Amino acid sequence: MNRAGAAAITAGAVTGRRVVIVRVAIIAGILVGWEALSLSGLLFRDVVPSLTAIGRAAGRLLTDPDFYANLSVTVGEIGLGLLIGGVCGLATGILLGANRFLSRAYESLIYYLGPTPKIIFFPVMIMWFGVGSGSKIAMGVVSCFFPIAISAASGMRQIDRVLILVGRSFRATTWQMVSKIYLPAMRDPVVNGVRLGLGVAIIGTLLAETKLSNRGMGYLIIQAYSTFDMPKMYALLIVLFVLAIGANALIGRLSRTAARNRSA
Amino acid sequence: MSRAPLKPLLTSRIGARLIGAATVLALIGVVELAIRAGIVNRFIVPLPSEIMVAIPRIIVEENVLHRFWQTTQEVLWASLLLAAVGIPLGALLHRYRIVRLACETWVGALAAAPIVLMYPLFLVIFGRSATTIVMIGFAAGLAPVILKTLEGLAGTRQVLLDVGRSFKLTDSQQFWKILLPAALPSVFVGLKLGLIFAMINIVGVEFLINFGGLGQLINELAERYDLPGTYGAICFVILTSIVFFDTAERLERFLRPGE
Amino acid sequence: MIGESARPPAAATDVALSRDARLLDVERVSKRFVTNEGVITAVDDVSFSIAPGEFVSIIGPSGCGKSTLFNIVGGLVGDYEGRVTVAGDTVRGTHPAIGMVFQEESTFPWRTVVENVAFPLEVAGTSKEARVERAEHFVAMVGLSGFERRYPAELSGGMRQRVALARTLASEPRILLMDEPFAALDEQTRLLLGDRVLQIQQTLKQTTLLITHNLTEAVQLSDRVLVMTYRPGRLKRTVDIRLPHPRDSEVVSSDAFGHYVAEIWHDLREEASRGIIDDESRVLEGRARR
Repeated sequence: MNRAGAAAITAGAVTGRRVVIVRVAIIAGILVGWEALSLSGLLFRDVVPSLTAIGRAAGRLLTDPDFYANLSVTVGEIGLGLLIGGVCGLATGILLGANRFLSRAYESLIYYLGPTPKIIFFPVMIMWFGVGSGSKIAMGVVSCFFPIAISAASGMRQIDRVLILVGRSFRATTWQMVSKIYLPAMRDPVVNGVRLGLGVAIIGTLLAETKLSNRGMGYLIIQAYSTFDMPKMYALLIVLFVLAIGANALIGRLSRTAARNRSA
Repeated sequence: MSRAPLKPLLTSRIGARLIGAATVLALIGVVELAIRAGIVNRFIVPLPSEIMVAIPRIIVEENVLHRFWQTTQEVLWASLLLAAVGIPLGALLHRYRIVRLACETWVGALAAAPIVLMYPLFLVIFGRSATTIVMIGFAAGLAPVILKTLEGLAGTRQVLLDVGRSFKLTDSQQFWKILLPAALPSVFVGLKLGLIFAMINIVGVEFLINFGGLGQLINELAERYDLPGTYGAICFVILTSIVFFDTAERLERFLRPGE
Repeated sequence: MIGESARPPAAATDVALSRDARLLDVERVSKRFVTNEGVITAVDDVSFSIAPGEFVSIIGPSGCGKSTLFNIVGGLVGDYEGRVTVAGDTVRGTHPAIGMVFQEESTFPWRTVVENVAFPLEVAGTSKEARVERAEHFVAMVGLSGFERRYPAELSGGMRQRVALARTLASEPRILLMDEPFAALDEQTRLLLGDRVLQIQQTLKQTTLLITHNLTEAVQLSDRVLVMTYRPGRLKRTVDIRLPHPRDSEVVSSDAFGHYVAEIWHDLREEASRGIIDDESRVLEGRARR
């Protein structure tokens, strides 16, 4: 390979290294700035705890069985909420996407109800499902139903008409059409809808827990707030964010574009 | 008289919408009857007719207009911050390629993160005040503004940049006369998304910390066990958010004709 | 512009103009790209000159490197061997004396026609009144009077290219460089627009270099046609077009025109065939598309 070729390859490697350096620099800058702010005492006591304090709180947290008990409650609530809301949303979306009349009649209802703050339904959910996990799961269901239904409906409409005709020409039953043609063809938009749904289900469930609960991650966060245990609150928030972002990324890998990028 | 002309009318856009609306109203009617008949507990679900009466009542008694204005103010402040901080940050990421390569995925992850859950933290830092609410709205809406600004700038067609280069534009001229105008439609979409996220989180936090405008109203009514009032306030807030969202959509379509 | 190593002397493929007669000088320009398949030579040792007021076309099959040459002469690409000079001044980056008209849609969608055309004047700092007046002059020159306040979205593709042309002309470049600006238009529109472009060129005595793959267009508009080979792109031959001025699109029906077209096609055909054969072997060998 001549010099021009070799030069191009080293240029790519240099950029990769520089990106790593920039990222490390940014993270280091944030950590240093944080520690400086913490030690300076500019903000009142413990609003910005030192990194070691947060680290210790995180360590205590991750070795505390009580934490894992609460975590599993939350994960269970979110999981169930996503399952129920997801199935309902998917079914509704497929129905709306398949039938133009139904879509015209009801889809704008769902579209406009989507971007509303679902947490305001919480008092109603408490009345209907009690103060326990039931109302939290209901919040999750209500939150994730809308983005999943909307993306399923638009996903249905994007399916190449030809594929549907092929299914019908082979006399496929409704269930076969759904499982063998509709769902595989809509995989990408539905995966995106589920990502969005997971995001809002997490928010809806956890906010409900912070408002009224005696179990779950949300409860732990509010408890840390009311006892002014800031290091613990930071630790909880960090764990929460890592899990949420991780779950989002995992679901994203299910999409076809992600699979294509991996094999490319 | 043949029935043929009836079908297209029923399945037309307007016909379908009317039928949809009619079925929803019918459903409400069924609920009303079910409650009156005692099938559904009226201490859990108040009569729809009571809810409808409650709405004008709370508008008058609870100073809804003032509360609406409070919420709107919070949303406006959050939007100002979003534009003043989000757009320059997006431009910065575009300008310095190495920073963009390093940070773009992080901002994307931020968009997926449940930022509003940090509200107890904001409470500690800013106290139980409008500032907390505005800051949460701002934090929740920031990521889409940055990402869409970046997308708009990066998506400028190369040929337009070549035209600028062929006229020997300076970097600054290239940015203000070509990049930014070309990116403007995308920037507006980002602001719309950011605004919507901000509004949702603002009303949510108002409810949670029992402070502010409309969100607080719902919380108050719920704590007073004013069932029809609570349901009525929820309906009112939903209506408001629909109007808000619809306006944002219309504005976007107005600014991007033909898309 | 990498330094020259010991190479065989340049092929004598173009009319040797005396130094004073040269406005644009392209000297032994070569450009190589590194791709997954190795090193590709897009342009190989190309030299030619253009005298003031001349209309020169470069024609070649797709893949012959003519767009690369366009980018090099225009100063959009810096990393090549050889040298390009304009009136003795070496081209390093885009040059104010060279005006470019691109193949793709290049009008600014957010500006009206007159605002688009006034753009170079605005950048140069001309006062608003003066630049609007100048811009309207060039808008009229391309035949779009009455459309000054319209937006590009309201115009047809051909009209938009006329706006792009007017905009470049408004910067009064010494050399007008065009890369297949009419490629997206139908044949009849092309002929008529070609007429207009030629009229403008003759009126302004604008030195012009046109990159094209269209035979008719090349012969219709040019004083000289340079034929390029398929990759690696070299100058295969020069054809002087001795058709009288003023010309209009009627000239396409003349005998002389037909002879010129035949002559150029004779050389071009071989190169175009090589391009097609290369495409086919790419598919068979599983190589990437060109």
